[in-house]
Amino acid sequence: MIPSGIDPSKVTRILFQDFSPWMLAIFYVYAIGCMAAFAWGVYAQIHKYRAGRRGDRLAWGDIGRRLLDTAKTIASHRTLRRRDTAAGRLHAFIFYGFALLFIGTATITLQEDILGPLIGLEFWHGHFYLLFKLTMTLAGTGFICGLLYMMWRRGWLKPPKLDYARPDRTPQDADFSRERYRIEDWAFLWTLLLIGITGFLLSGARMVWLQNDPAVWDTRWWAPVGASIAAGLKAVGFTSAGAGALRMGLWWLHGVLALTFIALIPYTKAKHIFTAAASWMLRNPEAIRHLPLGDLDAARIGYRELGDVASRYLVQADACTKCGRCHEACPARAAGYPLSPRDVVLTLREQANTHLGEVLPKPRAAGCATPLIGLATGEYRPETLWSCRQCGACTEICPVGVEHVPLINMLRRTLVDEGEMDPALQRTLGAVNKTGNCFNESRRKRPNWTKDLPFKIKDARKEPVDVLWFVGDYASFDPRNQKVSRAFARILHSAGIDFGILYEGETTAGNDVRRVGEEGLFQQLAEGNISTLGDCSFNRIVTTDPHSFNTLKNEYPDLGGTYDVSHASAFLKELMADGRITPARKLDFTVTYHDPCHLGRLNKGYDAPREVLAATGVKLVEMGKSRDNSFCCGGGGGRVWVPDPPGTTKVGEIRAREAAEIHGLDALVVNCPKCMTMLEDAVKTTGNERNFRVLELTELLAEALEPEEPAVLPAPAEVG
Amino acid sequence: MKILVPVKRVASLDDEFELRDDGRDVDPDFCEFDLNEFDEYALEAAVQIKEAAPEGSVEVVVLTIGPDDADDVLRKALAKGADRAIRVDDAGLEEADRVAIARVIAKVAENEEPGLVLCGAQSADQGNAQTGMSVAALLGWTRAAVVSKLDFAPGAATAQVERELEGGLVECLDVETPAVLTIQLGINTPRYASLRSIKQANAKPIECLTPHDVGLSDAEIGAAGALSRVRRVFVPERGRGEIIAGTPSQQAARLLEIISEVNG
Repeated sequence: MIPSGIDPSKVTRILFQDFSPWMLAIFYVYAIGCMAAFAWGVYAQIHKYRAGRRGDRLAWGDIGRRLLDTAKTIASHRTLRRRDTAAGRLHAFIFYGFALLFIGTATITLQEDILGPLIGLEFWHGHFYLLFKLTMTLAGTGFICGLLYMMWRRGWLKPPKLDYARPDRTPQDADFSRERYRIEDWAFLWTLLLIGITGFLLSGARMVWLQNDPAVWDTRWWAPVGASIAAGLKAVGFTSAGAGALRMGLWWLHGVLALTFIALIPYTKAKHIFTAAASWMLRNPEAIRHLPLGDLDAARIGYRELGDVASRYLVQADACTKCGRCHEACPARAAGYPLSPRDVVLTLREQANTHLGEVLPKPRAAGCATPLIGLATGEYRPETLWSCRQCGACTEICPVGVEHVPLINMLRRTLVDEGEMDPALQRTLGAVNKTGNCFNESRRKRPNWTKDLPFKIKDARKEPVDVLWFVGDYASFDPRNQKVSRAFARILHSAGIDFGILYEGETTAGNDVRRVGEEGLFQQLAEGNISTLGDCSFNRIVTTDPHSFNTLKNEYPDLGGTYDVSHASAFLKELMADGRITPARKLDFTVTYHDPCHLGRLNKGYDAPREVLAATGVKLVEMGKSRDNSFCCGGGGGRVWVPDPPGTTKVGEIRAREAAEIHGLDALVVNCPKCMTMLEDAVKTTGNERNFRVLELTELLAEALEPEEPAVLPAPAEVG
Repeated sequence: MKILVPVKRVASLDDEFELRDDGRDVDPDFCEFDLNEFDEYALEAAVQIKEAAPEGSVEVVVLTIGPDDADDVLRKALAKGADRAIRVDDAGLEEADRVAIARVIAKVAENEEPGLVLCGAQSADQGNAQTGMSVAALLGWTRAAVVSKLDFAPGAATAQVERELEGGLVECLDVETPAVLTIQLGINTPRYASLRSIKQANAKPIECLTPHDVGLSDAEIGAAGALSRVRRVFVPERGRGEIIAGTPSQQAARLLEIISEVNG
């Protein structure tokens, strides 16, 4: 590989050749200054993060698994490729290019400034150096390709999610413009691109300059880009001396750019190199399905001031790269509500930087007392916080693990504590407190839906049952959903399941009360239900309501209620697999399936409902937004109780229109009582009532189970 | 200065309910109980006066008359911003009407010497709208009923109030204090009391008094102090509705039949 006659130890990169001592001195002073600026910046950021509340710290026992998961996620770029494959792949080019170039440069420092002077170890020559050159060329090429793509994307493709228009502000507001981020984005790309380009030019200039040294010239094709540039320089008439002067100029430009970039990392968007990794490692993977348990006796229940915010969320706010995936996924944003999850995150970042200090740390006490919610510049407006459906679309797609959902929930807890909410919501919460249901109906009317059944459902409070069916509010009181409840009851009955309900003893599970931010009422409801369930004898819980399912399964354990909870769709699938129910006929429908957020995104229940659908024989045509990218019906986060302001688009209407695009659609299949209520309404208001029906999965299955002749009901028996 | 806000724990009925065995009231098993909605507005008005005044200069005292179950509504009132709660136990008050209740409130007002007594315009369950005015009469204080706007700075000799009259008229009054005002719905937006604040209010003491403690004699308590007595509660026969079935022409024919029946 090394031409004969060349001493391998001479095959190396010249570093400071022809540098006068004062130049070396300037270089080292500048380099050390940049390192110091970097170190100070890191200190300032950590000082900022530590101003946050340190309540829910990382469990150390978990650290190995978290580190491994973070390393895997970064290495695979798994989360960056989601819903934006090209950008994810090209980011990987930049990432791996940058990493290799950085490691390469670090090996120079390792020999030159550490191992060389200390123990005289020199390794950076010969074959190692040639391989090094090739690797650096590949890394630099990938790096530049990635950067050019990103520039093309920002400059020409202009995806809407990258514009910084704030839905939560109007152009008249002082804090409307986030244009300075755009300047920063471009400065970031140009700086990196210039570092890459000057690196290659420098390589070429060096070759021309040292063309008479065979150790350089004869091995130049190990750096093919540099060698090509060298050929070009020679072609345009550069002599060794001319190239030497060019090399000196480029050397300083490249060196100063690179060192300055490193110095600026902690103060610019480049910090995501560190914060994104930290954010991912610190994140709570359960964030959207399991909200933090509030301490009702603490001085504060929610986030009111900057100092109340968990340190973790401050790191997350700095990790955000404004990629816009959350902005794009947010149903409230899509319907024109004054909310973008991205802006929620950026507002927190800006408040922290302004009041706790990004460059120079500010006194913590004053910074921590900065109010978060209000109408002033930089504050979260209540209507922004109330726009959220807590559907989890933002948190689920965030490539760096930002937890928007609990953050918004913690802010809402303050609004609830201060009584600042829509009067309709206030009435509903009052009704829930008084009657245990959000319909403001008497407790004793809860089981009325069972009256029309030809059999009596067991009272689980009075006799042991195998399956305890937790019915939930909408399935109990809403007339349309009562039909579904009866259909489910008939299926269970005919399958011979030993099941019962809590009758008047059930109160709403509290999932949405919690998502509204009424933590105290949630805990009271949960404690009540846990106490009721504690007096019953059963093996497992089944519910048709994904909201009840979510909180019973994921949140009740915090309050001492741990159960085996299944959603009806998974239970029905199980019954089919066991042969306890068998569709008697194939339904000749074209349907689409709307994933309920609480079953799908929150609990990954994507497949069971589709398997049940398949068993009915219908033709399933998926909507563009399905599974993890399913679009909320608009009813989450308590919004089912708050009327949408007149003149606004309803979130559900967007969904109904999406379904209506499917040619020959017979039914939009839902799998959640709240989705039923919201989407049935939206189908009507979008004028699609005559085009297709809204059906519950359970109803569809009930129809498929029904043979032409009435079946003989088998006797109830134990299952499972 | 104190503001006294008498509040009531009112019953709301289920669609289906049964009457008590003596037929003089609804069986409480069929009721849900809550703080009277009108009183929420009165309380909010009091708390807003307090919040606008220098801290510590105004004390909002809530009062209810009833069994210990009624502590719930006092806790809710404390959670919404009241400073102190008094409950006069209703033992011996079973036969009390609104005047007999007003006697208790008036006695408490005499002891507490508030600058204002703010009552709800009426109770959501019984709707007499007499308790507040009876209190004013017993105390001999100035009074204004069904107040829809209230301006009052603690310590001022008068309160400026507005009342809505028939035909969209608004009557503006200067009311000398101490005064008794009954507050109409919509005068403000009552705040939500979160469960947490209600739980925290559990830590605040509730003064429990008997009618004798407040200075009432046996002759003023319960039936003896009442001016009326409930004889019977019943659901009157209602006219029946009819759903007309059939084809449009059949329905039209039946409709004509009914119209001619009604017209004789």
